Amino acid sequence: MQKHEVVVIGAGLAGQRAALAAIDAGKDVAIVSKLHPLRSHSGAAQGGINAAVGKEDSVETHIYDTVKGSDYLGDQDAIEFFCQRAGPVVVEMEHFGTIFSRSDDGSLARRAFGGAGFPRTIYAADRTGLALLQALWERIGTEDFTLYEEWDVTNLVVREGRMQGLVAFDRRHGNFEEIQAPAVVMATGPFGRVYGRTTNAHSCTGDGTAAAYEAGAQLKDLEFVQFHPTALLESGILITEGARGEGGILKNANGERFMAKYAPHVLELASRDVVSRAIVTEVAEGRGFSGPYGGYVHLELMHLGREKVESRLQEIVDYSRHFAGIDPITQPIPVYPAQHYMMGGIGTTIQGATSLPGLFAAGEAACVSIHGANRLGGNSLLETLVFGREAGAAAAAYVDKAPASTMHATDLDAAVAPFRAWSSRTDGEDPSALRTEMQATMERYVGIYRNEADLFEGLRRIRALKDRFQKVRVVDRSSIYNLNVSDALETGHMLELAEVIVVGAYARTESRGAHARTDFPKRDDAHWMKHTIATRSPTGPELSYAPVAYTRWEPKERVY
Amino acid sequence: MADATISAVFDVYRFDPSKDREPRYQRFALDLAPHTPVLSALLQIRAEQDPTLTLRYSCRSAICGSCAMQVNSKSRLACETQIGPEMERHGRIVIEPMRNQAVLRDLVVDQQPFWQRYDSIEPHLILDPSHPMPEDRATSMTPAQVERFKETPRCIACAACYSACPAVSADPAFPGPMALAKLYRFVVDPRDSATQERLVRIQPNGLWLCLRCHLCTEACPKDVRPSERIRDLKELAIQVQGGTEAGSKHAIGFKENIRERGLLSEMKLVRQTSGVVGLAAQAGQGLRIWRKKPEIARRPHRIEGLDEVEKIYEALDRPPQEGS
Repeated sequence: MQKHEVVVIGAGLAGQRAALAAIDAGKDVAIVSKLHPLRSHSGAAQGGINAAVGKEDSVETHIYDTVKGSDYLGDQDAIEFFCQRAGPVVVEMEHFGTIFSRSDDGSLARRAFGGAGFPRTIYAADRTGLALLQALWERIGTEDFTLYEEWDVTNLVVREGRMQGLVAFDRRHGNFEEIQAPAVVMATGPFGRVYGRTTNAHSCTGDGTAAAYEAGAQLKDLEFVQFHPTALLESGILITEGARGEGGILKNANGERFMAKYAPHVLELASRDVVSRAIVTEVAEGRGFSGPYGGYVHLELMHLGREKVESRLQEIVDYSRHFAGIDPITQPIPVYPAQHYMMGGIGTTIQGATSLPGLFAAGEAACVSIHGANRLGGNSLLETLVFGREAGAAAAAYVDKAPASTMHATDLDAAVAPFRAWSSRTDGEDPSALRTEMQATMERYVGIYRNEADLFEGLRRIRALKDRFQKVRVVDRSSIYNLNVSDALETGHMLELAEVIVVGAYARTESRGAHARTDFPKRDDAHWMKHTIATRSPTGPELSYAPVAYTRWEPKERVY
Repeated sequence: MADATISAVFDVYRFDPSKDREPRYQRFALDLAPHTPVLSALLQIRAEQDPTLTLRYSCRSAICGSCAMQVNSKSRLACETQIGPEMERHGRIVIEPMRNQAVLRDLVVDQQPFWQRYDSIEPHLILDPSHPMPEDRATSMTPAQVERFKETPRCIACAACYSACPAVSADPAFPGPMALAKLYRFVVDPRDSATQERLVRIQPNGLWLCLRCHLCTEACPKDVRPSERIRDLKELAIQVQGGTEAGSKHAIGFKENIRERGLLSEMKLVRQTSGVVGLAAQAGQGLRIWRKKPEIARRPHRIEGLDEVEKIYEALDRPPQEGS
């Protein structure tokens, strides 16, 4: 058995930043990750990181834009804290070695992003996540900590109402391992793979979020699922909002710049929920293009010129060429929305504390909430760094006053029992098939536009899949890199989270941000200006609600 | 519903050391659209035919660096290699693990040595405490300074270059193309204070082991062009140390040799690189070559048209044009 003071699960930007904060506080820190840290999904973030550092810009405007973007579901105290930290965080990352793009005067270059009053998105070409991930890994590499690489977290051990440690599956050696730790920081990122069409990596399966939920931690606002307006048609690969920030425009099959109808002031740079719904509406009403991979619209960059596109959107040029066979310098890119981001997650305080003592969370796995019902582009990278640090520091401080943690011999047995059952079956459900059915269900019944009948049917189907998962079977019996175990583990985790998404969406009889109910098309502040809280019970998630924190911004109708 | 499909045949390397005595190739057949990425095909095989097929993958968009493998003997990212051209060129698609790394199972290789070599170049900013970063603001850096990084920030550490490199297997001290490209990234960083030390330290430790075969550049999916960054490092190293290292002496000797006669004098080159003692140490090797190629011991003549060679050197010596 391994022992540490703080164990961070997930090695993307939030996890690494949390680990660094705990190391800075003098703690014995370990990182558990199912991928090498440099392969984390943070590296796929393209467009940039928001910080109101321009002379014409202000932290105040960043706060307001974020509050408005959240459709007034974001906690305003958290948003204020978040935006105030933005400048220092970006400077810190620059000092760690991030190679940001620059303006002619040597300052950090900024580009326009959706829902923002000023160009405040600082970037590194169109691979900002990768640039930050490299720099943070380089920085933390000079510190002393333990890395458990290619380990899947299976479950958390909670006793006496607090964290005692966790059990993880070491892929390389095929062993289940106990790690005793009084404090755990969950930073396992998103679970976009509950949907079939997603910009998320295959690894984005919410293992940590599910493990926290199964251990009794509260999840918050899971029904708010962001669909990014511009993903490549067939593959769902992301085309950054930066493409529109640099001047890219959207056109329907009639050649109309249709965003003028939906967001007359800012057109393509409206908030993501607005642009995604506009594209879906255009296609549904027959003004989209159609092809073997469904309806779509065009994202045009041709008018920007080769030099600008090749220098600022280098990865986009490659993606379009390799994954869509399109040269964006001379041809429009066929795009359609795809699942992109989970606004919800493990509910936390500003300091990253969850409802479970000793468990902290940060990044996309967490929900503070700063994004409310809809996240603004450029705020997620910032979130990982601001709240990763908070969570890591809070975990370290918690260790100082927490009683010693203990693991029992039965903890490992209890964790391993289901895997033994999966591997001993000669007949049973295929985890890949269950996953594919779950993805199709979420896509069809819990997508961009929702209604009661669809959600009811979606829930029925997800619950049926959960039942079938009880008989899941692992075919691979090897002790080395048994990915079939990971398949089953991930599918089980995602089914839990899918259920919470649907139950929350079914209950919320209003439209707010990314949650668009055709049967309840208006925002209903009188009844629904509140966070959804989901707690696990044997029969499924139990919902309760928590107030939204207000400071200075009165809810208004959201117009772009 | 989609485009017309083709019948694709995959011969996939399979090896599970916990039960297999030796590797084997397993054939899978699938009907797929020609633009289907190899990774999608392999994942379809996992889902529909054999869930025990083991490989690393994550982002499927060429940014996480997980799925590098050999596709028809080339080190490639499976996610951005389309099956159509592979079938057209080779009639089948042979999938094998990357080279230069021990196979753990099927297509999964042990990357610890790769990361250890990466760590050997001290991949982090080294700061001079007497010149702290500006407090509360970003370092000033012009777009031209950012240009100096060239394409190195695009590196996704996929190890395709490491797999393609013949020098990696020849010498464990050789950091490998990725690590050297990374070193270049720190050497040109105006924030780094150890530029000179880095260039001095890397010379006996591997910089000159690069064979200039450019296989790394051919393999790199992100256009980092590691062999060109290694060349850039060599130039900077010679500037810093004035060519006192064996490797740099070899490069300088080569250049002088050709300028003088238009031909290489191997004897002279060895003497210039390793000195008289070095020449003696390599005498055995020299004799063996001499038996096969007696002309190497002869003093080379000057070629005709040496003035043309001189013109090339003059062009090379000219300072580069603005912006080039």
